[in-house]
Amino acid sequence: MQLKRVVITGLGAITPMGVGPGPFLDGLAGHRSATVSMRDQWQHFCNLHSLVAAPGPDLDEKSVPRQNRRSMSRMSFYGYDAARQALADAFGSESDGRDHFSPGRLGCVIGSTTGSPIALNETFETMLPDRDIGKLTAVKFFQCVSHTVAMNVAQCLGITGTVLATNAACASGLQAAGAAYDLIRLGRQDAVLCGGAEELHPSVTGSFDVLFAASARYNDTPAETPRPFDRDRDGIVCGEGAGILLLEDHEHACARGAKIYAEVIGYHTCASGDHISQSNRIALNRCLRQALANAKISPEQIDYVNAHAAGTIQGDAEEAAAIREIFGDRVPVSSLKGNIGHTLGASGPIELIATLMMMRDNVIYPTLNLRNPAPDCDGIQHVTSTISRPMDTFIKNSFAFGGINAALVCKKMISEPALKNHG
Amino acid sequence: MDKQQVVARIATLFETEFEIAPDRLLPDAHLFQDLGLDSIDMVEMIVVLLQKEFGIQLRDSEEARAIRTLGNLHDFVFNEIGKSAAGGSADPRP
Repeated sequence: MQLKRVVITGLGAITPMGVGPGPFLDGLAGHRSATVSMRDQWQHFCNLHSLVAAPGPDLDEKSVPRQNRRSMSRMSFYGYDAARQALADAFGSESDGRDHFSPGRLGCVIGSTTGSPIALNETFETMLPDRDIGKLTAVKFFQCVSHTVAMNVAQCLGITGTVLATNAACASGLQAAGAAYDLIRLGRQDAVLCGGAEELHPSVTGSFDVLFAASARYNDTPAETPRPFDRDRDGIVCGEGAGILLLEDHEHACARGAKIYAEVIGYHTCASGDHISQSNRIALNRCLRQALANAKISPEQIDYVNAHAAGTIQGDAEEAAAIREIFGDRVPVSSLKGNIGHTLGASGPIELIATLMMMRDNVIYPTLNLRNPAPDCDGIQHVTSTISRPMDTFIKNSFAFGGINAALVCKKMISEPALKNHG
Repeated sequence: MDKQQVVARIATLFETEFEIAPDRLLPDAHLFQDLGLDSIDMVEMIVVLLQKEFGIQLRDSEEARAIRTLGNLHDFVFNEIGKSAAGGSADPRP
């Protein structure tokens, strides 16, 4: 069977830096941190030690028609806006893209850690005091389900192809891109809107806090955290947002004269199978090597590693070890979570979008707050200041609770319109 | 509660929950065809909103299923409130 080539033709993002990929890139270029104090909002929660977060922008939710809006939570609004950005990027603002695909040939794969944590919280707060199911609204369920973003985006856009939700915590969004890659490669879809979306809630930060994996030492100096790979890192900072990409069959994209950001040339996802919360360098190594093998390239052909590195004590060290074993200190490595925190299931696609734009601009932005590389993260080429250099091929990592690992490999395709479109 | 009060409270409900302009809230307006409601909206209205607003429990009401127009709804709610006041079949809640 002849596998299809898969290319990226549209980008859309909501990040703690703002709406669209442009503000995000500006924030990276300006070495800005989006981490802020949440003390006023969260201090009434007992035993929540991490009082920092990277909130996203508030959108004009009323701009969405009521009958679409009623089943959407904050994360679905983020996903929908980012999906519309990606379609507008791919087809121009006058079109929503549907006209360009035969019925059933445009899919939608979007992941998140859970359904809306805000809606889940409201559901139980409404139901539990009197144990009265009758007090729940008819639409709350649609905000709570694990595929809430994928189904809402598909409904709003009238998508009739494959709709999937890849719910694997922090690997959700990159798994979505990988699943989209497979769907197109196998010829099952002509194009897929894919990515991840998340929303902030103290219960989410609390889930990491209770595992000693959330940053708690920088509540008074929020811009100092998270600190990926740094000696003084103390955990993640939760962020919110969405990253959506349009992946498309290369032939289909060429036939319509699309601008092409990059070709997806390799992907792998696998499990560690040995611990529910701790990363494992052997499994991470295996995931990266399999992604490279799938791309049919050697480690020497990689120009940049966009790390998962969320700023956790154990996870960063394991990832650094896996990168060191494969790439040594030859390949620049940075994590963008120092700027925007950990947007969990959205982090993979959000950071993938930023990396595509860095590739476009021949620039590599550093890991913010990495001042003193930790001894257990040593032996890799940390990027601590902006580097100007060509980048043709990169690998993007995402790792998640449950020992879930994912890695995606992209290669530049020369296409002038794409090079000039954003930012 | 008189009929006029019922009509006014339902109008407020439709304005806030379904974002329908007051000038469209005519008694002969069809809930689906004229006001754009759908089956999810009906469930929301019958099961949740009317219970919250008027304290009437309508989940299993056959008569509720026959509602087609806003006028039908006014009559239905007014009758249910009457039944409730007379100790009838409605299930008023505080």
